[in-house]
Amino acid sequence: MNPEAITSPSLHGASTLFVVFRVDDTNYALPAETVLQMESFSGATTVPGTQPFVAGIIQLRGHIVPVIDLRARFGLPPAPSSSESRVVVGQLGDRIVALVADSAREVLRLSSEQIKPPPRVLEQGAGGFVRGVAQVGTRTLFILDFGRVIGEEAFDA
Amino acid sequence: MHVDLAEFRSAYLDEVEEHLNGVDGLLMRLEDGRHRGQPQLRDLRELMRLLHTIKGLSAMVGVEAIVVIAHRMETIVRSTETSGHRMDEAALEALMAGSRAMASRVKALVENRDVPPPPDALLTALNSAMSRECSSAEAAEVEFDAGLGDKLGPSERQQLLEGVARGLRAVRIDFTPSSERARAGWTITTVRDRLGAVAEIVKVVPIGAPRSAAAPGGLVFALVLLTTASDATLAEMVGGSTADVKSLVTTSAPAAAPYAAEEIDVAEMARPGVIRVEIERVDEAIDGLSALTTTRFRLSHAVRRLAQSGVDTRELSLVMADHERQLRDMRAAILRVRMVPLTTVFERLPLLVRSLTKTSKKRARLEIDSGGAEVDKAVAERLFPALVHLIRNAIDHGLESPEERVRAGKPEEGLVRISCETKSRQVEVRIADDGKGIDRARVAARAGRDASDSATLLSLLCAPGLSTRAEADATSGRGMGMDIARRVVVDRLGGELALDSTGPGGTAFVLRIPLTIAIIDSFAVRCGDERFVVPVPLVDEIVELEASMVVCGPCKGDTQTRFFVRHGATVPLVELAKLLRVPTASGGRQALVVRRSREEPLAFAVERVLGQQETVVRPLDDPLVNVSGISGATDLGDGRATLVLDLVTLSARLEQAEAA
Repeated sequence: MNPEAITSPSLHGASTLFVVFRVDDTNYALPAETVLQMESFSGATTVPGTQPFVAGIIQLRGHIVPVIDLRARFGLPPAPSSSESRVVVGQLGDRIVALVADSAREVLRLSSEQIKPPPRVLEQGAGGFVRGVAQVGTRTLFILDFGRVIGEEAFDA
Repeated sequence: MHVDLAEFRSAYLDEVEEHLNGVDGLLMRLEDGRHRGQPQLRDLRELMRLLHTIKGLSAMVGVEAIVVIAHRMETIVRSTETSGHRMDEAALEALMAGSRAMASRVKALVENRDVPPPPDALLTALNSAMSRECSSAEAAEVEFDAGLGDKLGPSERQQLLEGVARGLRAVRIDFTPSSERARAGWTITTVRDRLGAVAEIVKVVPIGAPRSAAAPGGLVFALVLLTTASDATLAEMVGGSTADVKSLVTTSAPAAAPYAAEEIDVAEMARPGVIRVEIERVDEAIDGLSALTTTRFRLSHAVRRLAQSGVDTRELSLVMADHERQLRDMRAAILRVRMVPLTTVFERLPLLVRSLTKTSKKRARLEIDSGGAEVDKAVAERLFPALVHLIRNAIDHGLESPEERVRAGKPEEGLVRISCETKSRQVEVRIADDGKGIDRARVAARAGRDASDSATLLSLLCAPGLSTRAEADATSGRGMGMDIARRVVVDRLGGELALDSTGPGGTAFVLRIPLTIAIIDSFAVRCGDERFVVPVPLVDEIVELEASMVVCGPCKGDTQTRFFVRHGATVPLVELAKLLRVPTASGGRQALVVRRSREEPLAFAVERVLGQQETVVRPLDDPLVNVSGISGATDLGDGRATLVLDLVTLSARLEQAEAA
């Protein structure tokens, strides 16, 4: 693991464990408590009639889990899946949804002071998907709002 | 202090729903008995017991609204029972309204909505029935000791005061759960059950305590009771000592008629040999079974390949046959666990008939013969709306007014009869009325089509918007009911709805529904690079397509309509690959002919039908993938999710897309 990945817990604020994954050239993170598991990704079964960013469904330990293609969700051009491709399986309430990322291999600890609110431009541009921004060494991490990504709010409306 | 009561909740909802059904049934019986002058004592006691249990359970999980209603209802029933008077009509009405209000609050809980407080009108009705049935409670001093006082709501304080006024003792008894005690059978649930037999449980208050050897969970339950039982009896019920019992009364109240708790049959409260299991646990077993079925699938493939390569597989085949049978038996056994008697669905119907006859000013009697039929819990839940609409139709459209009936030489009171018969893997539910039948000519005239055979007549009746009534009334007459009933039976249950009788002797509908919907008989089909699964009951026929059979229709834009001729009729042909946007090199060589309930048949062309098998269907519940036309997913043995297609709905979607 990257040496910068583990930062010592801050004395001032609570620290949280995050799962970091890459989509295109950008690093995203989800709180580890949201993430159930990570698996390599070898394609999903397409479900006709779903929204364009839904890659389909996969079977995980006897459960049927919907898969969101993060590239499509973030308006990026599609890329062929590779041996690096991963699904990050998250849970929110009763819902279990998998996100496809180009790669994922890191877990790191961030203190609450490290996480800043997203710049206004980004907040609007990214459709509310980004909840916070953290700077780790030279890298920028975007903390995702899992509920928004899986369309929890849109479905409530 | 935080105590997680969530684990009790689903058990609570199940139990309360069951008791509410019982309450409805008893209220109906009481009303019936009132007209016939039959004795009520037994029913009153049973009703009291059910209301009492509902109140106790609701107090435990803190559903104040239901506690308030159940308490008032119980008080009314109890004073009727002790006074020996007959229950008057107004009191019965108030009790029925109370039962409906509790049911709607349970529904709110099931749907995770906020539970609304009891309606004022209801409380007024219950209170006035209460004051008629019992003399007002005299004031007594009850001490709500520290730490408990703020946990007791106004209605509970009132209940304690009233109880004391009736001559009961108000006590608090503490129960400290521990894993050791749980092993010996002493949990808060069993303690509540035991105490419920000898006392009225006003409230169960969980209280945090310092963790110690005496309270290893850091938790003590304080149970606030009204009772006639002695301290020793109470201590015995919680597996503790008399030191756990504290009286809450400081001055003794004038003695009133004591509540004879001991008269309630304790044996009736515990049904030996019956366990209550959360449905999730049964589903876990089914998941395990489906994994096993999948492995079995791979195994038989492997054996077949061995045989093809010339290996002697005779012994292996014998073992496989045994294995197959055992798997089948085990599946049947697990599915039996999920089966519930249809009577659990039917017992909600008398109340429906009662309210329908009131609004329609007709007289009707409901006869139910469940024939001991049992169906999967999921089927039972889905079936109910279909029954509601068919019974509504029977009363609103089928039965004549009392005057008309007398003129026709029939008894004034109409009859709606439900009967059931279980046939191999289906149950047949027949809903018949002895009304005037269906006016074919009028239906045909309205629809502008001939309706001489029953199937056509039924499809016309089920068309949304058709009504043989000139004016639409409050409950039916818009033709929506039949449409919903058909959709429930055909689309949601994979069953069949038929019209059995339409003559002047009355109308009869027959519902043929599968006993279970978790596992279906299905065809696997190949379509491009993908495989799909189609339930067998939806497929009428599999046709080998030859180029000479297929006719191309006129072009509309770039979608060409194709047809083929079958039994002298032209059947529209849809390329499944095109519909589902699956890339494919070749066109369809085989076609699945789908019988649609209302219209002419429709065929779906696929590359190849791979075979018929039993499939475990998992629903796609997540909103991201819950789309019409896809009824779920299954595993055909390759570890991938394969879609289960609902071709009837898919074709409807196709029609909509065409219309757009």
